[in-house]
Amino acid sequence: MILLDRVTKIYPNQQIALSGLNLHIQPKEFVTIVGSSGAGKSTLIKLLTREETHTSGKIIVGGLDYDTIRPKDVPLVRRRIGVVFQDFKLLPGRRVGENVAFALEVSGARGREIKRAVPKMLTLVGLGSKERSFPDELSGGERQRVAIARALIRQPKILIADEPTGNLDPKNAWEIIELLLKINRFGTTVLLTTHNKEIVNALKRRVITINKGKIIKDEEQGRYSLEGGKQ
Amino acid sequence: MWLQFWRVMHAGTRNFLRNAWLSTAATAVMTITLAIIVLSFISNSALTSTIKGVTDKIDISLYLNDSVTPGQLQTFEAALSADPNVASVTYLSKADALSDYQRQISGNQQLLEGLQLAGNPLPASIQVRAKDPRHLDSIIAITNEPQFKTLLDPTAPPSYSGQNKATINRIVSVSNFFKRSELVASLMFVVISTLIIFNTIRMAIFTRREEIEIMKLVGATKWFIRGPFVFEAAMYGIIAAVIAVALSYVILLGGGPKLGSYINVQSTINFFRAYPILVIIGELVVGIFIGAFSSLLALSRYLKL
Repeated sequence: MILLDRVTKIYPNQQIALSGLNLHIQPKEFVTIVGSSGAGKSTLIKLLTREETHTSGKIIVGGLDYDTIRPKDVPLVRRRIGVVFQDFKLLPGRRVGENVAFALEVSGARGREIKRAVPKMLTLVGLGSKERSFPDELSGGERQRVAIARALIRQPKILIADEPTGNLDPKNAWEIIELLLKINRFGTTVLLTTHNKEIVNALKRRVITINKGKIIKDEEQGRYSLEGGKQ
Repeated sequence: MWLQFWRVMHAGTRNFLRNAWLSTAATAVMTITLAIIVLSFISNSALTSTIKGVTDKIDISLYLNDSVTPGQLQTFEAALSADPNVASVTYLSKADALSDYQRQISGNQQLLEGLQLAGNPLPASIQVRAKDPRHLDSIIAITNEPQFKTLLDPTAPPSYSGQNKATINRIVSVSNFFKRSELVASLMFVVISTLIIFNTIRMAIFTRREEIEIMKLVGATKWFIRGPFVFEAAMYGIIAAVIAVALSYVILLGGGPKLGSYINVQSTINFFRAYPILVIIGELVVGIFIGAFSSLLALSRYLKL
């Protein structure tokens, strides 16, 4: 469960990124967040991954109140959430398998466990044969699959996908979305941000529209629209 | 704990091997740094022993009257030895002085014949060696005491006076200048080369700052991120230390004997021969410290979570 209660984020330059934002996402939901550039989507994601801290309000993710997190516990918080980024954020000097294994290594998993889990996860995302490739030997779609595999290897309850299709062609974009839907069917809560109108409209899932740091629309089977409406 | 430590070492070694070009460049700079440190030590030590060799030869000869009795001589020697600045007091009798001189002029038959005709004109003397040749005044003061002044030969003034004293002072001041300059130069070399290696490691980490960002987002702790970088930088230090020590031995043992006639490197060579383990451990410690410390410092700005 993700709960944001009157969350405000003001950056040091006094820019208000989020203003009294209320949001409640149930376990196993698939939620898409849309909004124009600068609407506050990225700030919302950064608050959830604890790259930024909120100025006021309350954030509770998976039962963990973010107000109680000490700086040294931030890595533990990040290990509970899987995150996929638009620019993949893969370690360029490590092979595909090593990139996925890294997520388990930081959690202190045993070598045997890693050896068993990594090929399984790569097969799940359709990259069973690419374990020994380096990221720069892969296509954009394949890189994003590696990022998804890395995010899922720790079996998080929540997966945040921040514009995962932004750098991909339509075919690869759809493959990634199908993968996210499959993950959601297995029981993982998925929070997707995207600018892709076709994808949002085709998904027919909950859509939240953000504008100027506020939720202007929240629809159960929403369509892509940056205009305000019933909340 | 051990699992994480092993992973850190494994990742550090892997980074070192996969970033071969960067590793080679950083190790080369580190090698130069460490070689400069060893060579500074060698030249400092060689200069110190050369200067010591020169200043050790500075002594004062006090020429005695022929009438000095063994009792007076003993009192005089005792008074000189009691001075804290006196390193040694050696008595040279008239007969010893004559045989020394005869040995010196052994090739000159005319002088030898003249010496035989004159009997033994050379006075007995006391050779005084000072611990610090800059401070001969206390020794001079003893010889000026009334009971000892009368023991000295008035026709043969002590060798510290006049021109000789000026020369002694000059040698001492020149050698001190060299000692100070060498120390300042060594320190400057070490500081500059440490800054260069720090900058090299900083650049290496700068190029991988995005990697650090990714590791943070995946949930790695600060030490899990830091560890491989620090280990990698320590590896530069270890390899550089081995090369620098090998290089120093080649330069010292190969080139040292050729320098022998100009400066005294023998004591440094002896030290390097006697304590090779100490030399390598010293270099390893310095190399690892510079590498690890530089990377820790360079990483600190990227590790704010």
